[in-house]
Amino acid sequence: MAGHSNWPEWIYVGVVIAIMCWVGAEAWEAERLVEHVPEGAEIIKVTGQQWFWTFEHEDGTKEIGELHVEKGKAYKFEIHSTDVNHSFNIHDYVVLMDAIPGRVNTVWFAPDAVGEHDIQCREYCGLIHYNMRGTLIVEEPHS
Amino acid sequence: MKGIVGLFLVLAVMVIVPAVEYAFAAGDEPGEYLDRRVVIWNLFFRMMTIAFVVGAVVSGTMIWQVWRFRESHPKAKPTAYEGTDW
Repeated sequence: MAGHSNWPEWIYVGVVIAIMCWVGAEAWEAERLVEHVPEGAEIIKVTGQQWFWTFEHEDGTKEIGELHVEKGKAYKFEIHSTDVNHSFNIHDYVVLMDAIPGRVNTVWFAPDAVGEHDIQCREYCGLIHYNMRGTLIVEEPHS
Repeated sequence: MKGIVGLFLVLAVMVIVPAVEYAFAAGDEPGEYLDRRVVIWNLFFRMMTIAFVVGAVVSGTMIWQVWRFRESHPKAKPTAYEGTDW
């Protein structure tokens, strides 16, 4: 078409592609950061079953419905389920990961203050799903 | 056409290559202690900032186009397709 330039369109296309690349890179970087487990993180095995949570520490200590951790330490949860799909959630620390039968999902966090926080199931898992809760108890470091 | 290829080459060098490099740079070394809440909130904040800016620019452009190219605009000129009998 005479007297007509396509440049504005191409610039628009370029800007859109650049923004999408930037958004993708930012999201990718955030995901990489939150999934990168620090060295020395203690592994806690988390088992979801209708309708309670069981925790097993590295030293073999088991807890049901309550999880004791120390402030300033990193913990890596290895989450699985023995029956149906559940979802392990510590709302106050933005920890959320599905518990799926037959596979182990991992997520890590490092509590930074002493206190008590709710643990709850975030995937509808049957009649008493609403009460599939637990308590995270963050304590001062023992040593 | 050459110009367009050049434009995209420049974009690739400026945006895509550093982003990919940055993401792969982490390697296998252990991660650092960080607060998930902060990382996730920051990402959300930046995404919302860009989303609202883009939304404002796009809707602003559309509103301006509708206002500027309406038939009753004082500077409106008929195009070759529309004929001249108005």
